[in-house]
Amino acid sequence: MTEPQPDSESESAGDPTSAATAGAATQTASPASPRSGADRSKEDVVLEAHDLVKAFGALVATDHASFQVERGTITGLIGPNGAGKSTLFNLVSGFYEPDSGHVEVNGTDVTDLEPYEIADHGLIRTFQTPRKLEGMTVREAMLVGPQRQPGESFVKLFTAPDEVREHEARNLADVERILGEFEIDHLATQPATKISGGQMKLVELARAMLAEPDILLLDEPAAGVNPTLRKKLAEQIRRLHDQGTTFLLIEHDMEFVMSLADPVIVLDRGSVLMEGTPDEVQTDDRVIDAYLGG
Amino acid sequence: MSLVSDPKGYWADLTRPEQGVLAFVLGFALLLLLGLLTGGIGPSYFLFLVGLAGMYSLLSFGLNVQWGYSGLINFSVAAFFGIGAYGTALASASSSPLAGGIPPVVGLFVALVLAGVLALLIGIPTLRLRADYLAIASIGLAEVVRIIILNEGWLTNGSAGVRGIPGFFEGWPVLETFPETMPGVIITALPGPTIVLGTNFWQALLNVALVLTLVGICYLVLRRVHRSPWGRVLRTIRSDEDAARALGKNTYSYKMQAFVLGSLIMALAGVFYAHLNLYVGPGDLNPITTFYVWVAVILGGSGSNRGALFGGFVIVAIQQGTRFLNEFGWIPVDVAPLRLLLIGVIIVLLMRFRPQGVLPPQRELIWRGVVDDAPSQPERGVRGSKAGESDD
Repeated sequence: MTEPQPDSESESAGDPTSAATAGAATQTASPASPRSGADRSKEDVVLEAHDLVKAFGALVATDHASFQVERGTITGLIGPNGAGKSTLFNLVSGFYEPDSGHVEVNGTDVTDLEPYEIADHGLIRTFQTPRKLEGMTVREAMLVGPQRQPGESFVKLFTAPDEVREHEARNLADVERILGEFEIDHLATQPATKISGGQMKLVELARAMLAEPDILLLDEPAAGVNPTLRKKLAEQIRRLHDQGTTFLLIEHDMEFVMSLADPVIVLDRGSVLMEGTPDEVQTDDRVIDAYLGG
Repeated sequence: MSLVSDPKGYWADLTRPEQGVLAFVLGFALLLLLGLLTGGIGPSYFLFLVGLAGMYSLLSFGLNVQWGYSGLINFSVAAFFGIGAYGTALASASSSPLAGGIPPVVGLFVALVLAGVLALLIGIPTLRLRADYLAIASIGLAEVVRIIILNEGWLTNGSAGVRGIPGFFEGWPVLETFPETMPGVIITALPGPTIVLGTNFWQALLNVALVLTLVGICYLVLRRVHRSPWGRVLRTIRSDEDAARALGKNTYSYKMQAFVLGSLIMALAGVFYAHLNLYVGPGDLNPITTFYVWVAVILGGSGSNRGALFGGFVIVAIQQGTRFLNEFGWIPVDVAPLRLLLIGVIIVLLMRFRPQGVLPPQRELIWRGVVDDAPSQPERGVRGSKAGESDD
């Protein structure tokens, strides 16, 4: 409990549609108590983390972290190295079990669920370093994305082959369409092991979209991607956002995250330091201190 | 595309490894035929070898589902094989300390149920953990099963083994007496010793028909599941389990399904073996069998059904073929005992020059009939082969 709890100033952010302005107003109105923690008075919340704690031995990686992600936003999650961003992602997506606290997706408590069950509630995540899928072409790898495929049931392969074929044909058409939208349709029949790391990130993003998530968690989508592809990746994220997908993304590249995300949540030593617009975050003294190791 | 109507087109559609394997298989078959006609190999013995090769192919199919599809490291192939063999033997053999005299078809189901239960028992604690835990647990399992069978005499006859196992077709209308009713055939068409086809021959032929049926059914089932979304999830688990979990796949359940399916196929091989050999003993569960099957799968190409089939036959060819090498006077050493060394050398060469195996999957694995409509880009398929259309 090192950070003041955000509830203390929840009244100041009464108007959820302009949370950022409300936040700014709080800062100017009472400079003695600057806005701390995350804004937790959002209206249409897709993902909520409440007081999450996770310790690895003596190291408390996540220390009472709470935040909300509002539907239709691209929310950035930044913080210095070791701030606990990835741990938080793993807690939220079910890969780690929190020591305490809970996670809600679309209003359902998913704290103790397995990752696949959480995916079923509409939360899909990607990984920082996607592993190559051996022996598959890009479109085969993409075909793993769609949820609830009848062909994923062993029995149905023999009892309902026509239904399997129908879905497979539809899914393949979706794959070709999405690859087209991502402008990587020329990769469709390439072996998945032969494409570059940057292209792999695009493919992973495209594949995650096939799962039709309510919220998509991206773990450092721009890491290790060349500037051209990085621009393309940002465009794609913006395009998908315009189509209505909600994003939560961890990113180290400040330029990338500041140009995409709003709001931005800053994590430091396992808990939420502050939340605000990119401008607010960039000018906040505490954020600068955290990054400079102050 | 048909082999009969357009052999040239068929050949041209094959990838290089496929052409190589096909040529090798045809050449080898020709050599065997020559051996048979000249009396170098007795026909009954030859059929016994084909039965053995079919059995190894079944074992390889099983391991391929576990290792090739899903990346599960199972070192207890011999145990599941043994459970299958003992399951049916204890049910049907006249010397069985338990039941005995039960029709072999029922024995088959007893064996499959036992293997399925054992697979679940070993899978439940280990499949949630990393792949290496299953590997270690399975080594232990193999020894536990073997030692129980060796020591629990009241249950298994111990080291004496189970004798008096009937043929698989005992109790069947026509097939039971098929070998006896068939007339002896004498062939003297070619110069060389006369070949007599008696009861033994027909019995062996019946066994071969049985194993080929089993292999055929398994192959067709596996080909379908391999190309399905189900198989695709398994292949994703093999490369990156976390990615599969993040995409909403219940990986534990999939791994369990693959593990049980593979184990059942191995048990099937055991059932066939019991009724082929008519005797099973604890020696049949020696870890060497597991080792041979791993070699077959790696040699054929992990993840490939046809590769597993090929691997199974190659293993028997090496095991038994080395016996014949001694007949060549110009080879200065006794070759037969060098069998294991030979296999080791083959594996080393394979890992050095072709780590993916002889015949890895050659084409995209998308449900049959779906991809043919899609624009195919032959120049860019998997591993430089053709996209779309295909087997395996």
